[in-house]
Amino acid sequence: MVSWVTSAFVGFARACAVVIVVLSVPAVWAAAVALGIWWGAANPWSWVAPLVLVCGGTLALSRPVCRAVRFLVARWTATVVPAGYRQAEPVVRMSTGFWWNGFSYERTRRDALLDQRWRIRWNDPANWRDLRFTVLAPFTTGVVSAVPPAGVAAAVLGFSQPTPVARLIGVAGSLVAVASAPYAWRSVRPVAVRFLGPSRAMALADRVDELTAQRADTTVAQAAEIRRIERDLHDGAQARLVALGLSLATAEKLMATDPDQAKALMREARVGATASLTELRELVRGINPPVLNERGLVDAVRAFALDSPLEATVSAGPELRLDPPVESAVYFGIAELLTNAVKHAHADRARITLVRDESGLVVAVEDDGGGGAVERAGGGLAGLRRRLAVFDGTLEITSPAGGPTQVRMMVPCASL
Amino acid sequence: MRIVVAEDLYLLRDGMVRLIEACGHQVVATAATGPETLEALLTWRPDVAVVDVRMPPAQSDEGLRAALAARREVPGLPVLVLSQHVEQLYARELLADGAGGVGYFLKESVFDADQFMDALERVAGGGTAMDPAVIAKLLASGSSHRRLAELTEREHSVLGLMAEGLSNQAIGQRLFLSESAISKYTTSMFGKLGITDDDSNNRRVLAVLTYLNRP
Repeated sequence: MVSWVTSAFVGFARACAVVIVVLSVPAVWAAAVALGIWWGAANPWSWVAPLVLVCGGTLALSRPVCRAVRFLVARWTATVVPAGYRQAEPVVRMSTGFWWNGFSYERTRRDALLDQRWRIRWNDPANWRDLRFTVLAPFTTGVVSAVPPAGVAAAVLGFSQPTPVARLIGVAGSLVAVASAPYAWRSVRPVAVRFLGPSRAMALADRVDELTAQRADTTVAQAAEIRRIERDLHDGAQARLVALGLSLATAEKLMATDPDQAKALMREARVGATASLTELRELVRGINPPVLNERGLVDAVRAFALDSPLEATVSAGPELRLDPPVESAVYFGIAELLTNAVKHAHADRARITLVRDESGLVVAVEDDGGGGAVERAGGGLAGLRRRLAVFDGTLEITSPAGGPTQVRMMVPCASL
Repeated sequence: MRIVVAEDLYLLRDGMVRLIEACGHQVVATAATGPETLEALLTWRPDVAVVDVRMPPAQSDEGLRAALAARREVPGLPVLVLSQHVEQLYARELLADGAGGVGYFLKESVFDADQFMDALERVAGGGTAMDPAVIAKLLASGSSHRRLAELTEREHSVLGLMAEGLSNQAIGQRLFLSESAISKYTTSMFGKLGITDDDSNNRRVLAVLTYLNRP
């Protein structure tokens, strides 16, 4: 009983709040119409000012109203409705001394910021959604939420008059108010979820931005990787093979005159060949570990775990064959994490679990080290997150100071 | 010895055949794919086979699979596996049946013809021959590292060479020590690790490898 009374009072207050927020725009419209009538309907010019008031008022109020509704819904029902407003890019000063805000060059920083704000404000696709909501909301949740306050108003008016009809209206009004108070405000949630979330176009625009950034990242990373491989080959194997050829050519010349010297040179050539093979092996392992190609992800991780100074256990479901790019990204991710566990966390043991379920691939890596892993821009963990992001994968790191470190990598099914 | 050579790259296969024949052995068959290898191993039953890990048709670990399959049919069929890279994982799989007669080497080990031939003979005789790189990884891996902490540096190197498959005599030659000195080291080492010493060289090496392979 007590809880019902509280919920009725709380509900009434909430309904009033919804009414005030949602009906503020119709209130402006009503004020404009009243103004027009007051100035006199005969003079055609008297309609211009109210029209300006209606348009300007609706435009100006749409965003604050939407923000308020979003805030109230989040507070009362814990349903977060994403706003999806376009975010401003940082304003930067170019070498010419002008300021670039993502759209145009301006002479001063203040102008650049102002220009940027207006451009974003006007070009944001969220504006249309906000306008639609401000127009729709009064006729949906506005009307429903207005029932309890209207009931109370009817009761007050009814009981203030002595006639029986008025009394009857008063009784009916109070009954309606009490009965509807706990429920009326709830209509705001479905309406907000349906009309206030990002539209398909906005979601797509966000996705395009995200993919553009990822593509740029990937291209840069790929170019850097190719440069590294080229440099390694150029300074390593190629140079060694030249030296090898030289030794052999000299040995050939010396064969008849100084066989001992020739033999020594050939031995040297053999050592050189072994060294360049070792170098090439390391390079290949860095590009794509051979076991990954020969046996797939799980055995490659097992092989890595065997070679690592950690006591690492690997558990995996049967038959886990994925697309080669995903396998490679996940393999290098695990390798990075195990290397960190040895180098930074000074761990002795690690546990690696690979599970594929209906949502995607989940890889958990835990160690018993000192913890305290932090993701730094440009660091290994940030790079790992970027590599996974290409497949819409995510990375979760729990690493309190003192350990242990737990990391989860997830790659959704659609990318596998 | 009658030898089968399985290797998909023509130049390497040809070079290997020439090397083996130059050392006075006979190559009875060659194979260039996984299925061919298995067939050659089972029909010819060679004294020892040299098998590459990666071969057509899938360019994955066909050679290793063929070798393992043949050894399931003919237990202890001597196989020396060659690869561009060595993995503890593969070494463990080869040693898992405990029958001996296996070798696992980097391809460049053929550069040293004498050592390569020595390894082939050891494998043909039912012994084991492991690339120093495999043994180094095995000794350095997490669990072994802790268990071997008690060993002295000398004992450590003796253990490494023993795990490669060398006899006491050969270890002595490598370390410039007498054979009796080596057997003294092995006795104290086996005492520390709790492995029972065995007169047979092969069984002793297998015991050491099993010990190192323990998770």
